Amino acid sequence: MGKAQYKVEGGKLVKVQLETEGTRIKKVKITGDFFLHPEELIEELEKAVEGTTLYEQVLADRIEAFLKKNKAVLLGASPEDFARCIVMAGANDD
Amino acid sequence: MMIEEWRLLDTGFHDAFYNMALDEAIVVAQSKNLVPNTLRFFKWEPSAVSIGYFQGMEEEVDTITCDARGIDYVRRRTGGGAVYHDRDGELTYSLIINQKHRLISEDFQETYETLCSGLVRGLRLLEVQAEFKRINDIVVEGKKISGNAQTRGMNVVHQHGTVLLRVDPSVMFAVLKVPNEKIRDKLVKSVEERVTSLNRVLRRDVGFEELKEALTKGFEETFSIRLAEGTLIKFEEQTAAALKAEKYATREWNFKR
Repeated sequence: MGKAQYKVEGGKLVKVQLETEGTRIKKVKITGDFFLHPEELIEELEKAVEGTTLYEQVLADRIEAFLKKNKAVLLGASPEDFARCIVMAGANDD
Repeated sequence: MMIEEWRLLDTGFHDAFYNMALDEAIVVAQSKNLVPNTLRFFKWEPSAVSIGYFQGMEEEVDTITCDARGIDYVRRRTGGGAVYHDRDGELTYSLIINQKHRLISEDFQETYETLCSGLVRGLRLLEVQAEFKRINDIVVEGKKISGNAQTRGMNVVHQHGTVLLRVDPSVMFAVLKVPNEKIRDKLVKSVEERVTSLNRVLRRDVGFEELKEALTKGFEETFSIRLAEGTLIKFEEQTAAALKAEKYATREWNFKR
């Protein structure tokens, strides 16, 4: 399992725990002191990136699309920050 | 024009689970139009740690130390960070406001600024040079004195936050996880540089009542409202008891992440 944390400049701390299968995301948990509205969407967001390849831009687009589709708001971190932290966790995978 | 009246509650000391349950119960009551917009003040007994909705309990909190010291730990319904709520060192408030209210913007950042401006005014009434700092803090001379967190749901905006009367960073870091033990002392020092309290700024003992009165006035003036002391309705008490038992005091909720 890979772990990473990333402090967003002027924003919040994002932490990721990641399980991969080859180059794809099998399971991901995103924790931290950011704000996501509505809150309950976090698990769905995690599900939405499962199966995605570990490429920052692909992940960021996927997260962005998810937020848009669900009219969700992220505060203190951006889809790019989430994506970056997920990729960082992937690099730490053992 | 008649001045708009909101309800003012002081629910005193309660445990962490009831405190968080009561906040949600008031939100539910407001969403059903059973109660007016509300400002609630409250305190924590025993002292407690609350974590943000998205945080991991084991990741953030040293639950073994908490258990040994009789400190509660609870997950909030709002995002944001882990907070140590000292029984004697902190006053906590909640604002529960209908989402259609004139003070509420669709934009979260803007709404933080608006709602926190009531706190800033209240602190300035105490001669504390408080300022709002994005995203959700209030600072004095660049040091944090108040943290705030907001959520929306059921057409109600709920913002709660803390105002520090005194700080003991050594307790704070005994109950919050630190990356490694070697830097604990360093962290304690850095908190002393980044966090402040009313007692430290004013160099005297500020009481809960004095702070409460100043904040109440700050909200009244800034929001152009009158805060009328009120009580909980039965529905809120019953809902709070149920939410405590079924949600906030459960392991499923507190350890779900």
